[in-house]
Amino acid sequence: MADRREYEGLLDDEEDDDEGVSPHLSPLCDPTHLLHRILVLVFMCFLGFGSYFCYDNPAALQTQVIQDMGLNTASFMQLYAWYSWPNVVLCFLGGFLLDRVFGIRLGTIIFSLFVLLGQIIFAAGALANHFWLMNLGRFVFGIGGESLAVAQNTYAVNWFKGKELNLVFGLQLSMARVGSTVNMNVIGWVYGRIEAMLGSTGHTTLGITLMIAASTCLFSLICALILGFLDRRAEKILKKEQGKTGEVIKLTDVKDFPVSLWLIFIVCVAYYVAIFPFIGLGQVFFIEKFAFTTVQARAINSIVYIISAPASPLLGFVVDRIGRNVLWVMLAVITTLLSHMMLAFTFWNPWIAMCLLGLSYSLLACALWPMVAFVVPEHQLGTAYGFMQSIQNLGLALMSMAAGSILDLKGYLFLEVFFIACLCLALLAVVLLYLYNSYKEGELNLSASERTSRMKPEDAQRLRVPQPSVEDHDHLKPLSPFGLRIRYLSRLGVQMPDHRSSLAYRSVLR
Amino acid sequence: MSTFTANLIFSVLFLVFGAALGLLGNGDKFRRKVSVELNPGLTHPWVLPPGVNLVHVQGLGLNDTLHFLLCNHGAPALLMVHTNSTQSSVQVDWPSFIKSSSPRSLKVEPQSSVLYSSALVFTRVWEYDDVNNTADPQQTAESSFYPPYELQNFIWSDLNKTGDQSNHTLQLCGGENTESFVNGSLCLQFSAFESVGRDQPWPSLHHNANSSQLHVWLKGVTPRGNHSRFALEFQSVGDSGFEGRVDVYSSIDDEYTPSIFKVSQWVSSPVNSTGVWGYNQWKPVAYRKADPVFEDATPCKHSQLVSMTHIPQSRLVQAYFTNDTQTYGLNISFGIEKDPAFYSDTKYISWTVLVGLGDPPADSFSTLIIIIITVGLGTPLVIIIVGGVFVWLRKKRSQSSGYEPIN
Repeated sequence: MADRREYEGLLDDEEDDDEGVSPHLSPLCDPTHLLHRILVLVFMCFLGFGSYFCYDNPAALQTQVIQDMGLNTASFMQLYAWYSWPNVVLCFLGGFLLDRVFGIRLGTIIFSLFVLLGQIIFAAGALANHFWLMNLGRFVFGIGGESLAVAQNTYAVNWFKGKELNLVFGLQLSMARVGSTVNMNVIGWVYGRIEAMLGSTGHTTLGITLMIAASTCLFSLICALILGFLDRRAEKILKKEQGKTGEVIKLTDVKDFPVSLWLIFIVCVAYYVAIFPFIGLGQVFFIEKFAFTTVQARAINSIVYIISAPASPLLGFVVDRIGRNVLWVMLAVITTLLSHMMLAFTFWNPWIAMCLLGLSYSLLACALWPMVAFVVPEHQLGTAYGFMQSIQNLGLALMSMAAGSILDLKGYLFLEVFFIACLCLALLAVVLLYLYNSYKEGELNLSASERTSRMKPEDAQRLRVPQPSVEDHDHLKPLSPFGLRIRYLSRLGVQMPDHRSSLAYRSVLR
Repeated sequence: MSTFTANLIFSVLFLVFGAALGLLGNGDKFRRKVSVELNPGLTHPWVLPPGVNLVHVQGLGLNDTLHFLLCNHGAPALLMVHTNSTQSSVQVDWPSFIKSSSPRSLKVEPQSSVLYSSALVFTRVWEYDDVNNTADPQQTAESSFYPPYELQNFIWSDLNKTGDQSNHTLQLCGGENTESFVNGSLCLQFSAFESVGRDQPWPSLHHNANSSQLHVWLKGVTPRGNHSRFALEFQSVGDSGFEGRVDVYSSIDDEYTPSIFKVSQWVSSPVNSTGVWGYNQWKPVAYRKADPVFEDATPCKHSQLVSMTHIPQSRLVQAYFTNDTQTYGLNISFGIEKDPAFYSDTKYISWTVLVGLGDPPADSFSTLIIIIITVGLGTPLVIIIVGGVFVWLRKKRSQSSGYEPIN
């Protein structure tokens, strides 16, 4: 039943085509035409651009923010912590708000407004030289940011159910990385121009720079409005329903989570806290330890994102073909550990370490996130992913502040050792996961072919035949686990492979 | 099985810890017995000018003695003399030391026991108007420089002796008799050490029994311009036959001096030899506050080493060294290009240098770091080995039972 909705989506499309609703419309305006959907896709991609662009503004302007606002590193890192705090809760609520409260169109516009408002408050805080206002801005920005990604994915599912979906997710993901990369490399230059115009640095310069950055959020808001309009228009013409995230969250499920899932959670938190706070603090690290120029430091700090754009789909494909996810995760953690050790204990060219970090970061995302679907039943998938993201945000919020304080008191070597310790914890959890899995003879570490052979023939049969819909209120039912998972994966930098793999079906069979 | 596993893990951890601690234990255990003496042998009616003192710090080793002499008669100077005898002593001809700068009025006896001597003299404080904000005095036009403060003309307040059994610290402050120094002063804090260790405040240089530390700060001095920056001029005097050079090393360890990955060493080695006999070591960082946090650190840089023709105006150096000397000069300047903070913002800048004998001490990882790394890497390794064996045994057992004869 998992794929039924998607299957029906395809059927719907075919019916629409047969009916030929709008022969008088030009292809660009015809919601059923590919050209129109490509137009929609453009707006969909730019929907998230603003929030990705502005998320890493602090990292790209680290020295300027610290100098102009008279901060120490610990308080600087609070800008990241405040972004994460609302998402500890919103990971559970975002899907619910979109489905039941606002609806996808209004919800998207509201979240875009939050992003824009947050960035404006953030910039106003700099203009007024009030750091608490900047923190408030990041908090509001955080409320909008993560939920906007949910909305973006829901739109994608709604418009591109069928075989284009993976490509669309891939494009959205690449846009996210483009946003981060452009920010890392451009915003410092913008600051320099404003500085030249005003003739001095200071909180005003910073505020104006951030206001300019807010224009990307305004742009995204406009995209949200246009998308809402086009979606409603399509709904009227095609008489279709608003998209749903289909997410079902039941917090009581937490007590039923298996040991393996908790180990996966530990890996997730311990791994990501060694990546994102590091990137947040990276720029000055490369300047001070490796004597990089500011431009070089920005470039190397964004390389992780640049690499992950092409590497994620490729590695996703490889992992999916080979299986053995636990070993891939272990490999990713070990290579990350190696690259952090290179950065900590050597003066080797940091490009080596950072490229390695970019690759292993992409590999981990491809191998780790799908594992959740193997260990929890389908109906708990939403809760499991929500919980995983929630504690990830909690970990990031706490560790961002910890990392800032450690840097202030103990310096970069100790900070790197702290990150290494986190990665060691992740490694420990993977090792335990591997052993536990071998002990229980679980399916986490099976090769892809073993996975296929474990599928019962009747299940495989059932998957090929779409089951007839029993309920009328089809749209109220959860999205297929495949679609659900794809949503989370794309939010985190993983792209599902194009073909329907045994991996994707595995969760359906349980 | 599980208790066995636990036992194994604990014993391996114990071994790892033991090895780590053993590794740390074999550090520099060398100690000296340090004693401090003020104006040795000075008797009535001879008196030094007000605020002027000659401090003698004697570090007694097993079969050698390291003498440090600090004197602010003229430009403040720190003289280091190493002898191969435990009986060596400092002899001062006070009448001629006070009145004139005649050579050999200060001697270390017996003279044949002297192995090495060198002095670091703090001669001037430069002030320049950094209009272009380059923080580099060498790129600054000569017209931007204000007349330097000559330390030989300074008036010093009384010596302040602090410290305990193992930490011998002396402090002297002074200033020029001008408006600039009405509320301000230049202070020198001298510390001698009995064994290895680090001072708590940054830059927490790693010292040992063969080194002493000079902490210099300029506090509350009224700057003569809006964009004033300061630079310190030092001269080193040593026996001819030695030559000086400044090496800059990269260090991965910034635990004790956050964000500073370089160490500068002004070493003195015999001509045509690479062996180092004495050194002045510092980290290229200065602090803008007396009780600094991370953001109060500012980089400092040194000029090229210049060979000087005259020995500096310091009574101690003039009294100890004969004519056969080699003098070098060097400036230490503070701040970095486009540094938004000038001296006037905090009216404070401090800098620390280690003066010592032999090879300069190197940084090493702290116990905490070694423990974190060993435990962090060791635990997963141990668990994968132990667990792997366990799983393998289990599989083997289940397999072998599967092939048992049916009847």
